[in-house]
Amino acid sequence: MKRLLVILMLLGGIGLSPAFAQGLGPDIPKATGQPHPEGNLFWRMNHMRLLQHDRDLTMHNGDRHIQASLKTCVTCHAVKGADGKPVGVDNPKHFCRVCHDYAAVKIDCFMCHNSKPEEKTQAYLKPKIPDSKELAAYLKETGQ
Amino acid sequence: MLSTLYALLFYFATAMLVIGLGLRIAKYARTPAPLKIPTTPAPTTRSGVFWRMTREVTVFESLFKSNKWIWLFGWMFHVALLLILLRHFRYFVDLSHAIWFWVPFETPFGIYASYAMVLGLLGLLVRRIVVERIRYISSPSDYLMLLLLLGIALSGMNMKFLSGTDIISVKMFFLGLMRFQINPLPTTPALLVHLALVATLMIIFPISKLLHGPGVFFSPTRNQVDNPREKRHIAPWALELEK
Repeated sequence: MKRLLVILMLLGGIGLSPAFAQGLGPDIPKATGQPHPEGNLFWRMNHMRLLQHDRDLTMHNGDRHIQASLKTCVTCHAVKGADGKPVGVDNPKHFCRVCHDYAAVKIDCFMCHNSKPEEKTQAYLKPKIPDSKELAAYLKETGQ
Repeated sequence: MLSTLYALLFYFATAMLVIGLGLRIAKYARTPAPLKIPTTPAPTTRSGVFWRMTREVTVFESLFKSNKWIWLFGWMFHVALLLILLRHFRYFVDLSHAIWFWVPFETPFGIYASYAMVLGLLGLLVRRIVVERIRYISSPSDYLMLLLLLGIALSGMNMKFLSGTDIISVKMFFLGLMRFQINPLPTTPALLVHLALVATLMIIFPISKLLHGPGVFFSPTRNQVDNPREKRHIAPWALELEK
C-alpha cells in the first residue's frame, strides 16, 4: 500500500512538472492575412466541422466552387522553419500540430492533402517572353 | 467571474473527494473483521486471494454468477467509464512528457466508449423501473446516481458530437488550477453543465453508494484466505480476553 502511494506521488510529480515554457497553453503562431470575421473562438470550436462540411460538398457532391478551402488555411497560417521555408505537418511547430499535439487530437487531413502552401514552381518554368528593346540589345551584344 | 466560481467549485470538490475518500478508506481499514467468513469455494493462499480480487474488480465475477443482465449493463458501464477517464487525461497532463505516450492512442476508444456508457446506464435505469421487486427497494439516491452519470455522459457527448467547446482553454483552465492560478474557462453551456455535474459527483462520492468502489477491497467474504484450520483467525480484542 505504501509503495503504491509512493508510485502515485511520483506519477503526480511528473504530471505537474513545469515543462510549459510560455504559460500553460500552446504557442499559437500568428497568421498573415486578415483576421477571421467570425472571431477566433468560432474557428477554434468549429474548424473541424467546417472542413468536414466542405469535404462533403467537394468530394461527395463534386462542387469545387466553394468559398473556403484547406489550401487557404495552410497558406495564410503557414509557419516558417529555420531554413525560411514553410514547415510541413511532420514538424511540431506546424500551426495545426501546435494545438492538436497539446490536446492529443489526431489530424486526418494531411494523409491526402498538402500541409504546406503550394510552391509556385510552374511560374518559374515558363519561359519569359522578351520585349523588342531587350531583343535588340541582345542582338547588338551578339554582334548580328 | 464564472471562471473563479468554477475554480472554487473544483477546489472544494477535489478536497471533498480526496479527504472524504481518505477518511472512508481509513475507516474501512480500521473496521474489525472478527469472523472468518470467505465465501467458499475460496482460495487457500494469499496470492490466490489477490487473483480472486483481481477477477472481482476487473470482470465482476460474483455479479456475473448472480445476475447476467445486471452484469452485462454494469460491466459495460464501468469499462466505458474507465476508457473515458483515460481519454480525459489529455486535459490534465503535459503530453510532451514520454510517460504519456499512450494518451493519443487511447483517446479514440473513449469516443466509442461514450455510447457504451450511456447504453449501460440506460439498461440499469430501465431495470430499476420495470423490474417490480427492484423498484420496490429503490431509493431516490439509486435513481439520482444513474441520472447524474447519464447527465455527465450526455453533456460530454453533446460537446464531442454537437456543440463543441474550446478545449485548449479548458486544458489551460485545469492546468492553471493545479498551479493555483485561474485561467478563463469557455462559457459554452454544455461545458458548464458537464463540469457542474462532475463536481457534484466528486462532492457526493464519499457519502454515496458509489463507495462500493474502494469498499469491495475490504469485503471479508472476498478478501479473506480460506485457512481457518491452518491459522487461527482472532480479533485483537478477543485475544485480549484470553490473556
